[in-house]
Amino acid sequence: MSLAPVGLPNMLPADVLAELKETATKLCAPGKGFLAADESAGPWLRAGHAEAAKIPDVIENRAAYRAMCFSTPGLSEHISGVILHWETLLQDDAKGKPMVEIIKENGMIPGIKVDKGYNKKGMWGTPVGPLGHPEVATVGLDDLQQKCAQAYAKGARFAKWRNVLQLDPSKGMPTDLSIADTVHTLARYASICQSERLVPIVEPEIVPNGSHDINYCAEMTNKVLAAQFKALADHHIFLEGAVLKPNMVKNGLGGPKASAETIATLTCQTLLRTVPPSMPGIFFLSGETALNEDNEEEATINLSTMNRLFAGKLPWHLSFSYGKALQKTCIVTWLGKTENEAAAQKALKARANANSDAVFGKYKPGSCASVGTDGNVMQAAGPY
Amino acid sequence: MPARVAMPSRSRRVTLLAAFLTVAVSSLAFKIPFCQGLTGTRGPPPRASSLAREVGHYGRAHNGAHLSASQKAALEEIAEAIGTPGKGITATDEGPLTVGGRFEAVGVENTEENRRTYRQMLYTAKGANKYLSAAILDPETVFQKSDDGVPFPKVCSDLGIVPGVKPHLKIYSLPGTADGETVMQGLDSLAARCKEYREAGCRFAKWRSPLEVSEGEISRLCIEANMHDLARYALICQDEGLVPIVEPDISLKGDHDLETAVRVNVEVQSELYKAMIDHGVFMEGAVLKSNMVNPGKACKTAYTCEEIAQANVEVLQRCMPVSIRTANYLSGGQSLEDASARLNAINRHSGKKPWNLSFSWSAALQLPLLELCKGKGSLQLEEMEELYLKELAIASAAAKGEHSPAAGDGDHTPPP
Repeated sequence: MSLAPVGLPNMLPADVLAELKETATKLCAPGKGFLAADESAGPWLRAGHAEAAKIPDVIENRAAYRAMCFSTPGLSEHISGVILHWETLLQDDAKGKPMVEIIKENGMIPGIKVDKGYNKKGMWGTPVGPLGHPEVATVGLDDLQQKCAQAYAKGARFAKWRNVLQLDPSKGMPTDLSIADTVHTLARYASICQSERLVPIVEPEIVPNGSHDINYCAEMTNKVLAAQFKALADHHIFLEGAVLKPNMVKNGLGGPKASAETIATLTCQTLLRTVPPSMPGIFFLSGETALNEDNEEEATINLSTMNRLFAGKLPWHLSFSYGKALQKTCIVTWLGKTENEAAAQKALKARANANSDAVFGKYKPGSCASVGTDGNVMQAAGPY
Repeated sequence: MPARVAMPSRSRRVTLLAAFLTVAVSSLAFKIPFCQGLTGTRGPPPRASSLAREVGHYGRAHNGAHLSASQKAALEEIAEAIGTPGKGITATDEGPLTVGGRFEAVGVENTEENRRTYRQMLYTAKGANKYLSAAILDPETVFQKSDDGVPFPKVCSDLGIVPGVKPHLKIYSLPGTADGETVMQGLDSLAARCKEYREAGCRFAKWRSPLEVSEGEISRLCIEANMHDLARYALICQDEGLVPIVEPDISLKGDHDLETAVRVNVEVQSELYKAMIDHGVFMEGAVLKSNMVNPGKACKTAYTCEEIAQANVEVLQRCMPVSIRTANYLSGGQSLEDASARLNAINRHSGKKPWNLSFSWSAALQLPLLELCKGKGSLQLEEMEELYLKELAIASAAAKGEHSPAAGDGDHTPPP
């Protein structure tokens, strides 16, 4: 028996709720995740690869690279949604075809990053963390209502907003102030998105920089997510039409290395304690990894371990929203050359396929070709 | 003047020690069934305590990080047992005065012996333990014995019914708030009393925070005060080896509609879970006993049983963590027919329900039994036992979604 949703006060009309739920359901299709293609500058600069970083960061190159990625044959078997930067939302490829059309024709849903990043000066009075600056507040709420309406008109059906939290147990980070600001901002953003029929991806990222161990990350992720869902409840967010993009619970980059099983277990335990079942999907960010780690492989293995260990026990779609963890090998195969495009697309599809397998808990480590740690360079952490 | 907790006499303490040793040995033989997957939904998560070692060394309470692995394992085992699919809780924790009220209403004398034999029947009714995972006792009953001289906690645990206690609590009104906005007293001496109850064989506790909707709202102050107290109570219990049942009880009193009830329930429960996490309660070792989501008794809109079930499932989906593996609803003035029909409909609902959803009933089960004593002047234990078993069979079926209620059961009909 299908009944109208009960008891959502000050809420949106039934047809808006229905559309949000439909979009969220499509985004959470079995085995599928997101391609996070919303990098502010050329994605090859942040891929952590010495050669790739030399490709000129000009608009033509960004258009060419992205058009190549989005038109990858069969990509929609593994990717339900593509998160775009504002530039790309309004962009055409070299032949004059809108990027948004390429995505839609290839069977995927376009999404839009709507935050405007943060100022590293941060919030006055907060401690300086491992990123080298105080705790920060992501901005962009002021004209968000109009931007969301514009994005929807252009074809976007979901949005993304990233807040950043740093860990440092010796300084009590993240502070309660930064948690309160983060969860409030994300709840406001989610509320505005939903009013414009965009499914919000809620991303309170705890960055892995620092030398803390995995247990501290577990405790803080627990605290942040509990606060986040309380805020979403207070702001009347329709959870059935929203998704979460959290960090995995991991050790700090300079801390004692935890195994994939420990990462998987602590992450899922934390989620089971805090994420209500009405949210249809959780899409992990890949995040920074240490120089001696294969960013792509780690992200896939961790996701697969979770879905394997907790098969049948998780009430949400547990998936990926990866940027560099999907694109690194693709970028290094492409290296800015048209003749490499087909091979680069194959690499992208292969890694997307690997992550699809991970959603089913079936990925075999090493079975997907990856450029690995060759040429890894220290990545400048920051707005992504 | 705060009520005093009765301290056991010296000879009683010796008896308690003997009882404790017996219970300790017999609890080793306690069979804990693993919760299998439930109809149409996924089963409970793997035991938190058996997974990665959590080293709590940051000086703050984090999901029971201050508890050892074996303490957590013990709590989880008890919570699992309480949440056995198809079984529920018999709530027999009314204090002597409240039981007295129920007795006197049907012409039965309120004596300690009557209270003892009545409760004995509720635990030992032949076959009742097929339907009961746990029993909540009041402190008087914890220290009473069966006809055979066995302390009631042991009587229960020998039958596979986990014994628990409602520690003595007292209400006071929050000054400056609407009528019916109260807080419970009892946290100050709770740790000491928990120790006592545990020694006597209890393995869980229950704390009820009554709440009333007034003009479509419960004030923020009342919600925060009560939910934070529930969280602190839960933390203290776990520290003393007792699984806390947290009971936010929003009364049926009022004329608010179902949508309002959903909104208020989400507000209250969201606050509760956030408070529990902030206090560092070990979520996998806690149990929820909430009211069912219902329109106010005087609500002028009619609702079907299915609509009420949907509202209940939605509320839980919107805020209840999967880590709390079972929610055992209170009856709170609902008849057995209505409560069972609604519990049944909830369990048959096709939505995601990754928890065990069952019953923890007192009035719904017991008031019809007491009716049998009307005009007789004394407890009619044999007749009551017969009816009790029939009722438990219905409750258990409802907990599995296998009950067949009569038409109209569970619907809300506006008062004339």
